[in-house]
Amino acid sequence: MDTDDDFMSNVSSDEDMIQDDSDNEVSGDEDFGFDDEPDVYIDSQKDVEKKKAAYEVNYKVYQPSDVQKQQDDLVNEVNMILDISREEAAILLRHFRWNKERLIEDYMDRPNQVLDAAGLSQSSVRELKIRSVPGFACDICCEDEPGLESFALKCGHRYCVDCYRQYLSQKILGEGEAARIQCPSEGCNLIIDARSLDILVTPELTERYHELLHRTYVEDKDNLKWCPAPDCENVVECAVKKKDLDRIVPAVACLCGHRFCFGCALNDHQPAPCELVKRWLKKCADDSETANWISANTKECPKCNSTIEKNGGCNHMTCRKCKHEFCWMCMGLWSEHGTSWYNCNRYEEKSGVEARDAQARSRISLERYLHYYNRYANHEQSARLDKDIYHKTEKKMVQLQKESGMSWIEVQYLSAASQALQMCRQTLMWTYAFAFYLARNNLTEIFEDNQKDLEMAVEALSEMFERPITSLADPKLKVEIMDKTSYCNKRRVILLEDTAQNLAEGRWTFNTDLIGSSSNGGPSVRR
Amino acid sequence: MSLCQNRLQEERKQWRKDHPFGFYAKPQKNAQGVLDLKVWECGIPGKEKTIWEGGLFKLIVTFPDEYPTKPPKCKFVPPLFHPNVYPSGTVCLSILNEEEAWKPAITIKQILLGVQDLLDDPNPESPAQAEAYNMYKKDRAQYERRIRQIVRENQAP
Repeated sequence: MDTDDDFMSNVSSDEDMIQDDSDNEVSGDEDFGFDDEPDVYIDSQKDVEKKKAAYEVNYKVYQPSDVQKQQDDLVNEVNMILDISREEAAILLRHFRWNKERLIEDYMDRPNQVLDAAGLSQSSVRELKIRSVPGFACDICCEDEPGLESFALKCGHRYCVDCYRQYLSQKILGEGEAARIQCPSEGCNLIIDARSLDILVTPELTERYHELLHRTYVEDKDNLKWCPAPDCENVVECAVKKKDLDRIVPAVACLCGHRFCFGCALNDHQPAPCELVKRWLKKCADDSETANWISANTKECPKCNSTIEKNGGCNHMTCRKCKHEFCWMCMGLWSEHGTSWYNCNRYEEKSGVEARDAQARSRISLERYLHYYNRYANHEQSARLDKDIYHKTEKKMVQLQKESGMSWIEVQYLSAASQALQMCRQTLMWTYAFAFYLARNNLTEIFEDNQKDLEMAVEALSEMFERPITSLADPKLKVEIMDKTSYCNKRRVILLEDTAQNLAEGRWTFNTDLIGSSSNGGPSVRR
Repeated sequence: MSLCQNRLQEERKQWRKDHPFGFYAKPQKNAQGVLDLKVWECGIPGKEKTIWEGGLFKLIVTFPDEYPTKPPKCKFVPPLFHPNVYPSGTVCLSILNEEEAWKPAITIKQILLGVQDLLDDPNPESPAQAEAYNMYKKDRAQYERRIRQIVRENQAP
């Protein structure tokens, strides 16, 4: 996953290049898809603040050290402005979810209430350290031997060091708590600060504690999110708010190469908005379509309610289970069926017509769903095979170098093609989920045309890509592949741009009542 | 000696020295007749001047090995009709929840007084049984009649 994703981020920077000067990419073999590459690795903070297309959002990627620095800066600032210790400043900032302005304003207005609410004591004299107090008995373990070492926060609730340690390790390791660990005394809401903790516990625990604190910083701020890729510790900052998610699909790429949606942390699902993705995934995962199939293809025995699929024969049904005889058309008793054996004359009755219509409708809706689902699943599967494709590409590139005497740089076009395929398939996959929820109108027609163009280009590229190694060495095919690759990338940009613009302007008509919109036959099936 | 046993012994000592009026709390004897400090049988009287006055309710308090790091479990036997008592009899109270307000310094006395307070002051934010909760919300008069009847059935000696 990591390796091929690495390439994805390169592709995205290729796109930037395509937008900036679109003639550049076919100009020379050597530098295709290559001259932009180092940027990503040189800038530790990938700063994407140039002019954006409608489908792109501004974001920044931070590494763990950057995040730590941000926190330290804020703490230092508050520490200086308010004349309180750095530990206290950190607790106050956490209490205000790192909203520095509000903290300073509130603190200036009513410092005592703010300190109380945040779990800080107002007395600031006593020095905190481990001591042994004569005549002390710990209220937790009830030990009272002389010389027992104990500790108390500013509140003065004193407990022995062992009990304190046990309490803290339970909170930190057992409950994953850090920012709001209170004094162990009942009803005392004083928060244990980082310095006291450092005095009390072992280094491993301190490390975990700071890790948890670090985590609360990112979780407290709405504009920060962890990169969801396994083992990635980076943080992405993006200003897109939750309420904007029906207008924009905030796809971001981490430095590790993982592309994901800032809104829902799932893999990049452009062009479909988050809410729709949620519904689609739920629909695909649950059993609703099984139920649809049953209602479209079966009836129930009027007597014992067994589900029956009629796969041939006449209308005279005899239930296997209860031996009940009935007419498949009108579901009435066969014995009362009069003289018109094998030809149900109640067929055109109103209720019969309605039942038939309902069945036909559920059949159409099932077919419609399957149309989109099959295409979605097909691209999803192809996307899953990306890894294989990439590894094959690598081998091909090596082979090609050996057989044709081309240099490493000269065979890079294959990896560029492979990246393009992956990106485009990912996009195509979600266009089908998106289209499933679209009402039929002109916009949808345009969308489907764009989708068709991209899909045809992708399939063509995929086909070229599969050719035997010997023909890949042919310079003519090489040019063709490069042209197709850039065409695919362009088509993808066009499709995303169009969709994102309409989404931002609220022009799409979505259709949750699926049966209603499939009346004119559903979207055209393309070959 | 383990922290848990040590603390429980001290709790026992403190309780025998002094405890609130009308309450009782004693470790149970196990099958062999040995005192088991980790299971206590307690009695909680209803507060004066409330509809619970005059009742005495039996509570089994079970201490885990991790006590006092983790809170004990309190269970009314038989299960009590109350919005914050589960059908099993287990009490739902913030100070008894390690993820909420449990602190290792909370004593048995404080727990029992906390449960006594809960009797007449249910917390509608965390219902634990449907019957008592619904009646408490929808038909307060009937709820109070029901409580009085329960108090009659559990008279303090």
